[in-house]
Amino acid sequence: MSEQVSWVPEGVDTGKPSAARLYDYLLGGGHNFAADRTLAEKFLQAQPNARTIARLNRAFLRRAVLFMMDNGIRQFLDLGSGIPTVGNVHEIAQKADPEAHVVYVDFEEVAVAHSQLILENDPRAEIIQEDMTKPRDVLKAADESGLLDFAQPVGVLTVGVFHFVPPEADPKAIVAAYRDAVPAGSYLAFSQFTQDLQPKEMAGVVEVMKKSQNPMFPRTKSEIEGLFDGFDVLEPGIVPLPLWRPEGTNTDDPDKAGIYAAVGRKV
Amino acid sequence: MNLPELAARWMHALTSTAYIPLSHAEIEQALLDSLVELPESPESVANRLVSLHATGPDSLRATIEVLSPTFELPLLARLSSAYAQSMRMDAFDQQEQIKVAIVRAKQRVERTLKVSQARFQEVFASSALGIAITDFDGRCVEANDTLAEIVGLESGADFTERELIDFFHPEDAAALGAKYRQVRDGHVDRFRDQRKLIREDGEPVWVYLAVSLLRDADGEPTHHVTMVEDISELHLLQRSLDHQLLHDSLTGLSNRQHFVTQVERRHASDQITLYHLGLDAFSVVNNGLGHETGDKLLKIVGSRLGKLAGEKKAALARIGGDEFAMMTISDNVTTTIEEIQDALAEPTFVDDHGIALSASIGVVDRPPAFATANELMRCANAALRQAKARGKRQWALHDPHDDARRRGKYALAASMPGAWEHGELEIVYAPVHDLETREVLGAVARLHWDDLSHNDTMALADSTGLSLPIGRWLLREACAQAARWVEEFGDRAPTLHIALGALQSRDEDLVADVKRALDETGLPPERLRIALDIASVLAGDDNAVVLHDSGIVTALDGFHGGHDELAVLTEVTVRAVITRAVAPTPDSPLRQAMRDLIATVHSFGVRFGVDEVHTLEEAEHWRSVGADAVIGLLPALSADEVTELLTTAASPPPAVS
Repeated sequence: MSEQVSWVPEGVDTGKPSAARLYDYLLGGGHNFAADRTLAEKFLQAQPNARTIARLNRAFLRRAVLFMMDNGIRQFLDLGSGIPTVGNVHEIAQKADPEAHVVYVDFEEVAVAHSQLILENDPRAEIIQEDMTKPRDVLKAADESGLLDFAQPVGVLTVGVFHFVPPEADPKAIVAAYRDAVPAGSYLAFSQFTQDLQPKEMAGVVEVMKKSQNPMFPRTKSEIEGLFDGFDVLEPGIVPLPLWRPEGTNTDDPDKAGIYAAVGRKV
Repeated sequence: MNLPELAARWMHALTSTAYIPLSHAEIEQALLDSLVELPESPESVANRLVSLHATGPDSLRATIEVLSPTFELPLLARLSSAYAQSMRMDAFDQQEQIKVAIVRAKQRVERTLKVSQARFQEVFASSALGIAITDFDGRCVEANDTLAEIVGLESGADFTERELIDFFHPEDAAALGAKYRQVRDGHVDRFRDQRKLIREDGEPVWVYLAVSLLRDADGEPTHHVTMVEDISELHLLQRSLDHQLLHDSLTGLSNRQHFVTQVERRHASDQITLYHLGLDAFSVVNNGLGHETGDKLLKIVGSRLGKLAGEKKAALARIGGDEFAMMTISDNVTTTIEEIQDALAEPTFVDDHGIALSASIGVVDRPPAFATANELMRCANAALRQAKARGKRQWALHDPHDDARRRGKYALAASMPGAWEHGELEIVYAPVHDLETREVLGAVARLHWDDLSHNDTMALADSTGLSLPIGRWLLREACAQAARWVEEFGDRAPTLHIALGALQSRDEDLVADVKRALDETGLPPERLRIALDIASVLAGDDNAVVLHDSGIVTALDGFHGGHDELAVLTEVTVRAVITRAVAPTPDSPLRQAMRDLIATVHSFGVRFGVDEVHTLEEAEHWRSVGADAVIGLLPALSADEVTELLTTAASPPPAVS
């Protein structure tokens, strides 16, 4: 319980870093605490390109959402949405079409409370507090929100999330459960850390995060392919973040992007 | 450099330092607007940069690098200052935002906690289990009202500062203390135990304890939680099950098993009297009015006897279908018998049928202390059988000597089938003497087994169900033997007399059996005399008539001289009656009566025979009152002995002095 910040209400343990707040910090956000920043510094030591990776990942999210919007998707299920930081899904989607619906899913108390704060005045977006590794609970709550019509294609977003899902949680079955809940023509946007790129740095990151509340599990390209069972992986396939349908000319080094990204369409 | 070109460079520089969630075109446009605005208001440009989220650690440096060749240092200094300020304000805003988020999160957690605490309180307060939370010194921190109720306190609050161990039975305290420590030290997760607690009023109460640990947020054990289930009711239920095991479901009285244990207990310390009641003619009720009526009647009998037993402080049980047993501390037997009969005699209306009952009662009074309860029950039962044999509403006192005899007989009866199978039953022939001529009229074929008389053997056979097969065997074997004698000795061969047992006398197949025996052995019918049990004829059986019509000479055995028997003699043609009685000595007051009876029998054309006459003197007494023949003067002989006797030339008449 080190460095309890004075303005933080009693009972909230800011001493335990959270991956969501770490991500926020890497993106230049202020929704984080000393412990998060300490962890972020260690993260940065292991992977000096972390800020760029965070930015690229966030940018991929934006491009993926807009890609889906271009393909007629108007409802999104954002799994493991975390702290609302810059460029949230509902902002991106609703800028393109104010009628777009978004359901965020996160389990962490503060992330949920924060999201509720942001979404207070948006009748078309909502956060549900569920564990995204329990699809049945998530889908039930999402259905009860009334925001999603599971008869229509849904954009399922798991961006920078699955590297927190351990193998024993059976990630393939989790993806499959969401896949089975949505109709053909639905999309899955997926990004997660991989050891295929910069294996040394990745190993360092895994080591750093091992002691946090959110240990990480990078996956190879072929492992990620396996998760897209029942989806057509769309062009350009499973690629480092900046290579996925870049906007204009890309100046970022794909080999240092750390994360694979892909979008699939349910067959 | 023109402004759009500068904007494009700025955009490229910025987007690699921070994530700006806009398209490149949008960012470029925003930056172009900023460039136009910059000379006038670097502060608003700074604000726009921050609101665009161009807030990466290198965003300001990248901006200055792009803008410095075009813009003056003082302007860039103002921009930098304003940017820093805007970043500060943005950081404050974000911190404020997350603070609110945290407060809300905490509130929700607290609300959830409150709900779960409320739930816990509800469970705690309304639980049917007593619950106590104790610290590791054993002091109660909290206890619910249910626990208070179990141990006889007013409310859960009364446990404050008390030690739970106060309520344990002193003998249990050490063992339970050890178990609590085992839970605390993590040797076991929990323990369950059935123990006795001591209530405030000192009364014991059976409880089921379940003890486990409470832990704090870090998982450190802090308290014991003890769940206490009052299982006294379980005990009651157990007792009720015991009740069902020990009681008759129809009448609610004790059952035999229970009664026997009561007898056992009482007999050990007191002189008791045992009454075994059998309702008279209950089967008539059951068969005539139905079992339902029978059951109702049994309930009524049960309740009446129960009332009597209550008054007499006696134990009462229903120990069989229509049989009850009562045990008193030794009392006046006849008085009690009367009370029992009075209780039963009052007419009972069951389903509009008025039924008056009586009982036959076997009594065991003041039995010796060494007799076991089961023996007493058997003795009472034996006495009841005796009483029943005497008729309705009778009672009989158990006679230990009689009982011994009976038991010997039963033991013998039990061994009879084996004995017969092994050929241990023998047929012997007892001579029938004519009292007038002193000649041997014939030979009575009799069973001989283990020193038992024929009649005893037959009675035994009757009680084992063997009398019919044995009787048929006797009939056939004796006929075969008699036929051999006729073949060998002609007219000198004795006429065969066979006395049938009660069962065989009224056997439907008797006539066929007799004819078959005669046919198969070739014995001439006139060489056979069949003596039937007179009771069967009295009961209306027509075997005597049919045998007579078939040319078989018959006699009636077991004649007592009653009116009904005499009447039968007028209806059924028989050659003789056979009686067993004390010899009418000259000084006997019955002598004349016997003489008259024999005269009457003679008047019907029927001869008078007497069995079991063993001395010449007795034979003489019988002759003097007119009897015709006697059996038993000479001991019965085996077939071979008879043959031998017949062979030794002319058989001399027995020497009668």
